Amino acid sequence: MAVGSVDVTYRGIFQKSLASVITKALVKAARHEHKIGGTVQRYSDSPERNGIPAKQFAVIADEETSLRVEMAKYEPDTVVATCVLDDTLVKGLESWAWYGVQAVNASLSPGGVLLVVSERPIEELADWMPRADFDWRLAVLSRKTSFAGLWVYNDDGTDMEVLGALSRVTGGLVALESLVATAAAGSDAARRAELLESGFSSVQVAPISAGVGREWPYETPALPAWDEMGEGVAIRGVPKGERNMLFQKFTTRTARPVVDFDRCVRCQICYTVCPDEAFDPTPSGHYAVDYGHCCGCGICANACPVEGCIEMVDELAFSDNSDLHRIYEADPEGYGNLRQAALATAGGPVRHYGIF
Amino acid sequence: MATVAEALADLSVGRRLKVLPLEELYTSGHRTCQGCESALVMRYMAKVAGPRTVVTGTTGCMYVANTSYNSTPWVVPWAHTQLGAAGSSALGTAAGLEALMRKGKIPREKINVIAFCSDGGGGDMGLSGISAAMQDTRYNLLILLYDNESYANTDIQASGMTPWGAVTSFTPSGTKKKISQHRWKKNVPALLMAGHPQGRYFASASSGFGMDLMEKVRIALDVGGPTFVQTHDPCPKGWDFDPRRSHELAILAVECGITVLWDFLEGELRYQGVTRQLVEGALKRRPVAEYLQIQGRFAHFGDEEIDYFQSQIDEMWEQWLLPGVLPATAIPQELELGTAAGRGRSEDV
Amino acid sequence: MTTIEKPVSTPGPAGGGPGYQEEILTGCDAVAQSLRLLDVDVLAGYPIRPYDAVMATVAKMIANGEMDAEFIIADSEHSQFEIGKHASLVGARSFIGSSGVGWMYGMEALVVTSSLRLPVVALVGNRALDDPGAFGVEHNDALMVRDTGWLLYWVETAQEALDMTLMAYRVAEDHRVMLPCALSMDGAFLTHSQHVVQVPGKAAVERFVPQYDLGDRRLHPDNPISVAPQFNEDWVMEARRQSDAAMRRVPGVIEEAAAEFKEVFGRGPEDPFVEAYMMQDAEYALVGMGTVGMVGKVAVDQMRAQGKKVGFLRVKWFRPFPASRLRSLLGGLKGIGVIDRDYSFGSNAWGGVLYTEVAAALYASGSRPVVVPFIAGLGGREVSVQNMVEIQGVVEQHIASQPAEVDCHWIGVREHVGKGGER
Repeated sequence: MAVGSVDVTYRGIFQKSLASVITKALVKAARHEHKIGGTVQRYSDSPERNGIPAKQFAVIADEETSLRVEMAKYEPDTVVATCVLDDTLVKGLESWAWYGVQAVNASLSPGGVLLVVSERPIEELADWMPRADFDWRLAVLSRKTSFAGLWVYNDDGTDMEVLGALSRVTGGLVALESLVATAAAGSDAARRAELLESGFSSVQVAPISAGVGREWPYETPALPAWDEMGEGVAIRGVPKGERNMLFQKFTTRTARPVVDFDRCVRCQICYTVCPDEAFDPTPSGHYAVDYGHCCGCGICANACPVEGCIEMVDELAFSDNSDLHRIYEADPEGYGNLRQAALATAGGPVRHYGIF
Repeated sequence: MATVAEALADLSVGRRLKVLPLEELYTSGHRTCQGCESALVMRYMAKVAGPRTVVTGTTGCMYVANTSYNSTPWVVPWAHTQLGAAGSSALGTAAGLEALMRKGKIPREKINVIAFCSDGGGGDMGLSGISAAMQDTRYNLLILLYDNESYANTDIQASGMTPWGAVTSFTPSGTKKKISQHRWKKNVPALLMAGHPQGRYFASASSGFGMDLMEKVRIALDVGGPTFVQTHDPCPKGWDFDPRRSHELAILAVECGITVLWDFLEGELRYQGVTRQLVEGALKRRPVAEYLQIQGRFAHFGDEEIDYFQSQIDEMWEQWLLPGVLPATAIPQELELGTAAGRGRSEDV
Repeated sequence: MTTIEKPVSTPGPAGGGPGYQEEILTGCDAVAQSLRLLDVDVLAGYPIRPYDAVMATVAKMIANGEMDAEFIIADSEHSQFEIGKHASLVGARSFIGSSGVGWMYGMEALVVTSSLRLPVVALVGNRALDDPGAFGVEHNDALMVRDTGWLLYWVETAQEALDMTLMAYRVAEDHRVMLPCALSMDGAFLTHSQHVVQVPGKAAVERFVPQYDLGDRRLHPDNPISVAPQFNEDWVMEARRQSDAAMRRVPGVIEEAAAEFKEVFGRGPEDPFVEAYMMQDAEYALVGMGTVGMVGKVAVDQMRAQGKKVGFLRVKWFRPFPASRLRSLLGGLKGIGVIDRDYSFGSNAWGGVLYTEVAAALYASGSRPVVVPFIAGLGGREVSVQNMVEIQGVVEQHIASQPAEVDCHWIGVREHVGKGGER
């Protein structure tokens, strides 16, 4: 290896510090092995927005020249491992400043490994995986998703376990011993060493062959040439009654509001308090959620005055963004069953960390 | 927390919403954070203003996070303006439209001119420009300041409107200095009101009270002349709390007496909703600790800091002649302010 | 200082054409007359010497009902330029201006005006930059926007100021251009000196400058657009390339407009880009911008009388820079002295901005003449005919001595004179 990068894909702000600790620790450990490295925070993710997918990279190289080439990029090319810190990101990611929904394994090099932090079985996660035209591996570190805030770091051990797992699944991009040695320099060394080893030993890996997986449904829009753009940087506004279809916010979601329309009292509060204008009035007086544009903030569920009417349901309980109210209208009983099943299988929203 | 529903019910959401159009003039597909209350303010503002509106917006989250080339969430015409240019962009827009209408170059009609700005853009850099706009009574324009209490778009630096003690990128809490944000929050609507007697309308609103906010925007646009509305909007990223509690937090700020809902129209100062109940004594203020302790930016607060914060809020409510507006605690008795005799005497001089 | 002359009812002298009135006007007043004739919709003013005389004149014309426009007293230059920009964005013809550090104060608003491709016209009454405060002319203020998509022009007389205000709107508002234009006028020598000026009639001006039409970029409820959504690296180069393309179209538009100017007003310069005085058979040229041309031409007359084949070349449009005109006029010469009324500390040969541009333009010429940089007239110091002769002498000396390095000469600066009389 002349150069290898680790792509850390995460939820903006909530996992920013976590991603930063991981990438920095990788480089520090590499220094312990007399390699060199650096970290790259994808610039267009910055300033990060709560929940919106973002990336940081650790670039590790044997010598300076290879490193230089990779460090002058927004996204380093030779990604040997992508580490996904929240499993709902497997549905795709749209950075706030860029276009098109990216597949979670899009940056991976042939033979690379995608490590997901998730409590789900590896088979279930494998089902979500987009197809690649090369052989690669899926790895799972079984752990609850770790979220924190901008100012308060959640020192729950996820960082060390992920690092241990990365050492294992990359075949020693950095050795476990180097990570342990690096951690030894800081506080709480024994606990950290234990976590590193636990991550190293507990990570599961499954090979995935070329051509196996979901067909990616999203196209990246082609950008116009300079003389095709409107002059004076003006663009047309959104036509009345429509939404901005060039950016939908659904990849921000870890959980979605699911409405029990039978309990709904048509009070309009969900519609009123939604900062993303995601509720559509319907002739029946219910409000249907546009799951393309809902970002799963949970304000509606919090504000709903009827107990149990709006529940935040884990995003992976749903395969697409289709209109649930339409399903309810067509078959209220069937919708009820669907809703119950989703509530039963899912873990609910990811809670914000800390004192809150 | 039941108060969310209570507060909304208090403002008769269902009944009064029916007069507002359901369609959105600022719509989905903006790149704001989960639980961004400032985005909600944009939505309310556009909805109540209606389609015959021109909006300019200064740099900040409501620019950068909302509009990424080549897409936009705006249905009504919108243009970016520079950070300190809320007042001047409103003046330029209003003056341009007025000149064209007067000269018959475009049809005469009422077009709402709204310039929005953030606490940084409006309360710091753009204050002088907003002041100039408030003086220019020839034009109908509204400056809407969405106050999320930091330079949020640049990753949360303290503005003149960041609350005392809050952690921001520029006011961290460290081992030697626990509190770096030593400035008490600037009261922009009150200073604009006091200094611009010719301005037609000044209001302080909250994203947590949508009906009240929309009513204030409506009055501002209807009354004509230069008007100013400020909204207090929780920022889940910068204040560091669970986004689902955004709306609740806005309401809590009012219930604790930190945010004060008031407006000033034709010489009359009025308090609204929960604030009014607090003023009248019908409701008791909640302790500020309830508000502070669910935000990561105050996570370093101990009892001492919470007590200090509470004491400042208490002083505002118990000592100020007009809570949230006028910090004077007493007026000289011999002036007999507000009485005919008092006025007569000053005229004699 | 600024007085509004009552319109003189006697028709102007021959050459003025029908409908002309002759008046005695300062440069600022001449611009104000054009603004009235152009029916400018919105003007934003903020006081700073010496440009502000134009705003005072306009304010008086509005107060007297001679002009119908919104005049806004801004709280700063930044607000002033933003007001102009936003008025322009709703389709109103707008005018701004400033001097010295005032122009700097509003710099942010200036750069976005050009990137939004809004044809705002500005008057820069050139003034030295602080500190300390100084009122006299230096060109550094206006030159600060030279890289940002503003069209830049330096006028020499009040008549030219009037004419070029009309041209500025005509060119800036052309749909192929849509870039802002700043007219530079030397502080004191032009802003505060009165000249005889032919003021044309309104009908002719309306014929020459059609109504401002921003088309589908006009911000109005009937045209719901979003202007300037934020860019990331996927877009910036494309937008810059658009502005570049617009700037490249300007020379053609200027030529077209200059030809029509002659047709409408019955007069106009031979060359819209530069003024070439006695250049036909010249072996040497002095090059400058603004009022330095007045003395430059007199000096040329004197030196010609002594048999020296010297010409004066006044650069009028600085952006776009008329490089090909300069190559064809200066390419084969023996020597050139470039007089900068500005500084660019640390730049090539320690010279000024104009020198750097002229030298760069001539680098591509077949026979590269010797180009010697001079700095003169800073902060409003007078530049005399004698200074010009001195400059020509240095150029000749330079050619004779062939020094290894080109070095800039400061003209008219007090030098310490040592005991032995050496400098």
